[in-house]
Amino acid sequence: MNYSMVKSLILKDWYFHRRAILLSLAGGVVSLGIVALGGKAGFFIGLVFLISIIITIAATLVMNTLVGERENQTLAFVMSLPISYLEYTTAKILGNLLIFVPFWLTLVAGSLALIVAAPVIHGLFAFTAIMAVEILVSTCLMIAVALVTESKGWTISAMIAGNLAINVVGYIVAHIPGIANGMWGKAIQWSPAASISLATEFALIALLLGGALFIQSRKREFI
Amino acid sequence: MNDLSVHFDGVGKRYPHFSLENIHLELPTGSIMGFIGANGAGKSTTIRILMGLVHQDEGSVRVLGHSMPAEQAAAKLDIGFVSEDMRLYGQATLAWHMDFLRPIYPRWDQSYAEELARRFDLKLQQKIKGLSHGQRVKAALLLALARSPRLLVLDEPTTGLDPVARVEVLDELMAVLADEDRTILFSSHNTLDVEQISDQITFIDRGRIIDSDDKEAFLDRWRRLRLVLPPDGVVPRLPGVVEVGGSSRLPVLTTNRYEPVMVSVCNDLGATVQAVDSMTLEEIFVANVHSRRERLTA
Repeated sequence: MNYSMVKSLILKDWYFHRRAILLSLAGGVVSLGIVALGGKAGFFIGLVFLISIIITIAATLVMNTLVGERENQTLAFVMSLPISYLEYTTAKILGNLLIFVPFWLTLVAGSLALIVAAPVIHGLFAFTAIMAVEILVSTCLMIAVALVTESKGWTISAMIAGNLAINVVGYIVAHIPGIANGMWGKAIQWSPAASISLATEFALIALLLGGALFIQSRKREFI
Repeated sequence: MNDLSVHFDGVGKRYPHFSLENIHLELPTGSIMGFIGANGAGKSTTIRILMGLVHQDEGSVRVLGHSMPAEQAAAKLDIGFVSEDMRLYGQATLAWHMDFLRPIYPRWDQSYAEELARRFDLKLQQKIKGLSHGQRVKAALLLALARSPRLLVLDEPTTGLDPVARVEVLDELMAVLADEDRTILFSSHNTLDVEQISDQITFIDRGRIIDSDDKEAFLDRWRRLRLVLPPDGVVPRLPGVVEVGGSSRLPVLTTNRYEPVMVSVCNDLGATVQAVDSMTLEEIFVANVHSRRERLTA
C-alpha cells in the first residue's frame, strides 16, 4: 500500500472541503446553542438544524469526493497518478471518514454534553448516542454505494434510504424496552439493549465499508 | 525485451458491443508512435489497458518493464498521461496542481514547469475553471511533462483545440522529442498531427490493429498509380493493390507495396503509367481501413 499517495489524496479532498466543513461546524455549534438556550421550541428547532447540517455535509462530501470525481472527469487525472484502484478506494473511504468523523464527533459530543448538563433530559443520552451513530451508518451507506456504483442516481437513492432509515431506526430504538423505559427519565441509563444497538450499528458500518472494498478490489474497469 | 517501453502480446478485451482482439503492439524506447484510428476504433481502450485502468481479458501487457495492471502504481510513476477527457480540478489553480504533484514525482522539474507555463502563457494563480479549453490542455500537458516521464501517453490531446493552440501543443511535443530516452504514444484521429511528430505509425480499426510500421516506410510503400489502358486492356496485377478506382480506361491503383520497378512492369503489360502519386498519411489510413473492411465483408 502506497500510504504517501493515500495521504496525498486525503489531503486533497480535505483542501477542497475545508471551508464547507469549518462553516458547517460553526453552524452546528450555533444549533447546539439554540438547543441549549432556546427553551422547548429552541430544543426542537436546534435539533432539526443540527441533524440537517450533519446530513448535508455528509452528502456533500460523498457526492463531491466520489461521484463528482467521475462526473467532473477528474478521475482520469487521479488515476494517472502512481496509485492502484484499491489504494484509490482506501483513500476515498479513509478520506471521507477522516474528514467527516471529527466534525460529526464534535457535534455529537456537544449534543451529549448538553444532555448531561441539562437538568431534566439525562435519559435521552443512550437514544441520542444510538441515533448519532445511525447517522454515521447512513453516511457509510452513501460512501459504499457511491464507491461501488459511481452513480449520482444511486447515491441519491442511498441518501434517501439512509435518511428514511434514521426515522425508522429512531422509532424502533425508542420502543426497545431496555432503552424506552428510561428515555424520559432524569438519570442516564445505559442498558445492554443500548450496547447491542451500538454494536449492531458499528458492525453494519464495517460490513458496508468492507463490502465496498471487496467489490472494488474485484472491479476490472476504473474509467 | 528491455528496449521496449510498451509491449502488448495477444491482448483482448470484450464488451457487449465492442471487442479489442489480439492486440500486438511494441513501442521501442525512444520512439514516438502515432496511434491512429477513427472514433470508437479502440484507441482509448488500448491506452486505458496500457495505463492499467482497464484490465485485459486475455494477453499480457508490460509497460516500462512492469506487468500491467498488477504493477500499475510503479509503472505510472514514470508515465505522463494526458487524455482528451481528463480534467483538472476547476476550483484549484495551476500552482496548486503543481504543488500537489511535486512531492509525488521524484523527478518533478519545477523550473521546467514554470518555463512551460511562461511558454504556454498560463498564469499559475489562475483557477482552472477560468481557463479556455486550449489552456486546460496545455496545463495538463505541462503537469505531465514536468514529471519528467520516461513514457508520455497522449490520448487525443489536440482534439477540440483551435489551430493556434494545436500548433503550440505540437511544437512543445516536438521540443520534448529532443530527449531520446523518452517514449511517446500519441493517439489521434487527426493524421496531420500524428504525421508531424511520429516516427512510427499504428492503425487501429474496429478493435484490431490493421497495420504498424515506420512512418517513412508507410509513406514509401503506399502509392497511387494512375494508368492509361489501351482499348480492351486489363488492369495489370500488381503486388499489394488494396484498391482499384477510376474508370476502366483510366484506372487508379492504390498499392501498399510500391516498388519503382512497377512502372516498367505496367508498361510491359501494355498499360501506360501516367503518374505515381505519393499519399498522405490520411489517405493511407483511409485506404487501409476501406480495404480491410471490404475484405471482411467480401
